[in-house]
Amino acid sequence: MIHRGEDVIIRTIARMLIPFIQIYALYVIMHGHYSPGGGFQGGVIFGASFVLLLLTHGYHDARSRISEKTMIVFSSMGVLIYAGIGFLCLVLLGNFLDYSMLAGILHVDPAHARSLGILGVEIGVGFAVMAVMVSIFLDISTGGVLPGEEEEVGEPPANEA
Amino acid sequence: MEVTLLVQAADESFAILEKARVRAVDLMNTAAKLTSETRWMEEKKVRAIFRGAQETRAGLQNFVVTFVILFFFWALLSGKYDTFHLSLGVICCGIVASFGHDLLFYNVRAGDMRVIAGRFVLYVPWLFYQVVLSNFHVARLVLSPRLPIDPKLIRYKTKLESDTSMVTLANSITLTPGTITIAIENGEFVVHALSRKVADDLNAGDMEDKVAHIFMEADHIYIQDVLDVARIFAALK
Repeated sequence: MIHRGEDVIIRTIARMLIPFIQIYALYVIMHGHYSPGGGFQGGVIFGASFVLLLLTHGYHDARSRISEKTMIVFSSMGVLIYAGIGFLCLVLLGNFLDYSMLAGILHVDPAHARSLGILGVEIGVGFAVMAVMVSIFLDISTGGVLPGEEEEVGEPPANEA
Repeated sequence: MEVTLLVQAADESFAILEKARVRAVDLMNTAAKLTSETRWMEEKKVRAIFRGAQETRAGLQNFVVTFVILFFFWALLSGKYDTFHLSLGVICCGIVASFGHDLLFYNVRAGDMRVIAGRFVLYVPWLFYQVVLSNFHVARLVLSPRLPIDPKLIRYKTKLESDTSMVTLANSITLTPGTITIAIENGEFVVHALSRKVADDLNAGDMEDKVAHIFMEADHIYIQDVLDVARIFAALK
């Protein structure tokens, strides 16, 4: 379990940096099909911002923003977006992830449809990577015990000499 | 016989007076307690109402300001100003601002932000000037053959209250050549100073006053504040 850091400077600077890190992560995701970057990289940066929040503010202060349940839902949602777009192309009689088939639904030309399709997939990948990163970190830092279960499990009995 | 009676009567009257006094003190104590309790409750109620109104306003204000700042950052990063990318930016900034509007601005009262921002903008040139001054000082120290440095750690008790102001002061100290903030321990700065002069400058508390003035730390009166008030009075006249 991570506790709240003692250092005021680190805590405050991290607090101020986190929104900028997140907007940078979203920029990397959203511009993934024009410039270097994409869902994986952006997702990792977004996850890193949560990890920074957890490291500096401790688990108890950060849990109102980041809960394991939300992260699990997000990771499933990311995979669902990715696979959903893929299968949508299959349903529209194309190959898996053949975005040009989406042109009919989106009312744009096939080239533009490819661009939008890639963007959608990037968003899905970003969601999944971000959520999985954070939940791995939470699992490691809490020793795999969810805080809800912690009260039931209780403290391990002290070893008597 | 008469004397003993008199003494007895005097004793009794003293006892009665003593009892009355104890009673009166008791009454006074109870009254004081009751008043203080009611006043405490009244104050608590008023504070709760005030804070409720404040929190909504402060939250909204924080959200809007964070959104605008983040959107500038997005536009700077993106470099694509077509409708599609700008709308993506609006959505992203909305998500991030709703997640972190109390991260960027923590504990800022509604209405204070404009004042704080203005004062901060005025503070930056002053800090730059200070940096240039101590730059020359440190250059002279380093270039003189005798090397007249006197490095030491000073503990510096601060009167600042909020985290943000303390961090601003710490970073200002570190930015000024010759002094480095090593840690903040329970409102006490541990600063490494290169010479006596920079240590004395720090102990004079000029920078601290300026920072406290920016963030409007409550229980201090500053010359700048007095001057501001004087100006307002002059304008009213």
